[in-house]
Amino acid sequence: MSDDTLIIYEEEINQIETLMSKMLKGAEAKCALLVDKDGHLITRQGFTHSLDTTALAALLAGSFASTKEIARLVGEPEFSVLFHQGKKDHIHMSLVGERSILVVIFDDRTTIGMVRLYAKETAAELASIFEQVMAKSNPNATQGISTEFADLAQDKLDDIFHD
Amino acid sequence: MVSINYSSREVCCKIVYYGPGLSGKTTNLQYVHSKVPGNTRGDLISLATEADRTLYFDFLPINIGTINGFAAKFQLYTVPGQVYYNATRKLVLRGVDGVVFVADSQPDKLDENIESYMNLQENLQEYGYDIDELPLVIQYNKRDLPGVMPVEELRAKVNPKGRADFGASATVGNGVFDTLKMIIKLVLDKAKAAGNTEMPSVNQSAEASEVDREPIAPVRPYPTTEPVEAAAVMATPDTTSVGVPGAMTTTIAASAQPSTSAAAEAQPGVGVTEAPGMPSVDESGEPASRTFQEPESTQAEHDFKAAPAADDDESEPAGFRPFPGSREESSPRKITPTEFAPTPQESEGETTYEKNVLKSSDGGMNTGSSDLATPGMAPSLRRRAQQKKRGFFKRLFGIK
Repeated sequence: MSDDTLIIYEEEINQIETLMSKMLKGAEAKCALLVDKDGHLITRQGFTHSLDTTALAALLAGSFASTKEIARLVGEPEFSVLFHQGKKDHIHMSLVGERSILVVIFDDRTTIGMVRLYAKETAAELASIFEQVMAKSNPNATQGISTEFADLAQDKLDDIFHD
Repeated sequence: MVSINYSSREVCCKIVYYGPGLSGKTTNLQYVHSKVPGNTRGDLISLATEADRTLYFDFLPINIGTINGFAAKFQLYTVPGQVYYNATRKLVLRGVDGVVFVADSQPDKLDENIESYMNLQENLQEYGYDIDELPLVIQYNKRDLPGVMPVEELRAKVNPKGRADFGASATVGNGVFDTLKMIIKLVLDKAKAAGNTEMPSVNQSAEASEVDREPIAPVRPYPTTEPVEAAAVMATPDTTSVGVPGAMTTTIAASAQPSTSAAAEAQPGVGVTEAPGMPSVDESGEPASRTFQEPESTQAEHDFKAAPAADDDESEPAGFRPFPGSREESSPRKITPTEFAPTPQESEGETTYEKNVLKSSDGGMNTGSSDLATPGMAPSLRRRAQQKKRGFFKRLFGIK
């Protein structure tokens, strides 16, 4: 798994987003994020405009990763669902396939049961999409960034990083 | 593992600052955070103990801007350096694209440096990485302290394989940016070498996306559907042409959002956009360009337009726009009592309409404008007012 670059195309993202928004409507949750286990945000749906989703994704992935270690210590391979309860807002995290986490943020307008029900259903559907993504990207494993992109990015570095 | 998201047009790389405890990994990030322009970086998040020792990781996202239509993002992480935090340290290495090894230049820290380097190697191996193939930059930090080891000596001990290295003093910033620039360069070079050096449609789609993305999302550019002409051409999803992301883009526009496409087809050239938080496709077929901030106003306008044109025979004065609520109220009442049914004369204007209503209902008994119904009032409200008043007079004079 070290070298497989994750490439997600519009087609899959649209499928994923449709599923996520369907889940949000069904569960009446506030927003949903799909986060890579490495901490990259894949996509998001719902009322996320007030959230720092980049940081949120990194922290949620970190939180999930640490529970995986906890699971290992108690003899479980991995905890598949994680729930944080707050005063108003709550977070439900569930594992999607091998490498992604579905995060649902909700408040008291709905219940944990509803969220869990819909998240479980959606996670299964998302997992099958990710399998397709992986199956598709394997024959094209050499896909990466272009030379031009890398060169232009390096030109920009001097402008940004100076004392 | 470089993450490329063709939908949000991002290339995302993860860079981890590794090294023994108190070698200055967090200080590196703090310096970058303090010197880089605010629009380039996000907040520095530190999961630290009360004594400011890193407990889990520090996180600093950096966006160096849009290149060829793709936002180049780098996520800088640090690890906790203490030996007994190895479990969490290993977790941070997951999915890493490049490592900066921050070594402490003080002579008594040499063993810790070597131990930490070995630990890095082990942890990378557990994830299946080979340290010799992974982009790695070594930084000899704390060069400003007195009595530090010479760089050559450190290099021989810590960097026997001759990886890129820099002397640095993170507290004052010497060498911090050199290190960062070098690791970014190495990460990009690696991604470039792995790539097929062709992103054919990136340039083309970039131009379109730059234009389309601009007005939509305040926070994050949201994928927009392409103009209809393009979407119509790409009728079937061509999943095999992975190398042509632009084509994929339009395909999805056609397949995943049929109703918006159909709506847009009615008015070619109208960009149909969806804002975050309004995921549902506009099923009414109204090709309104919705934004997240003002869904109500658009909806209200939509209601008004969609209301049946049954009031046409009443023919309000030109330029008169009743507010939406008034029309809703008026429509049911119009049907019920036959004496209120509009007559052809009403089309002459507002004043005629008023007279007719009064004449037909009360036999001219209640002439003159009432206090309740003023000339400037919307017809529906006036009608209502008249009705109220009629009821009052009927009761007053005992008229059945």
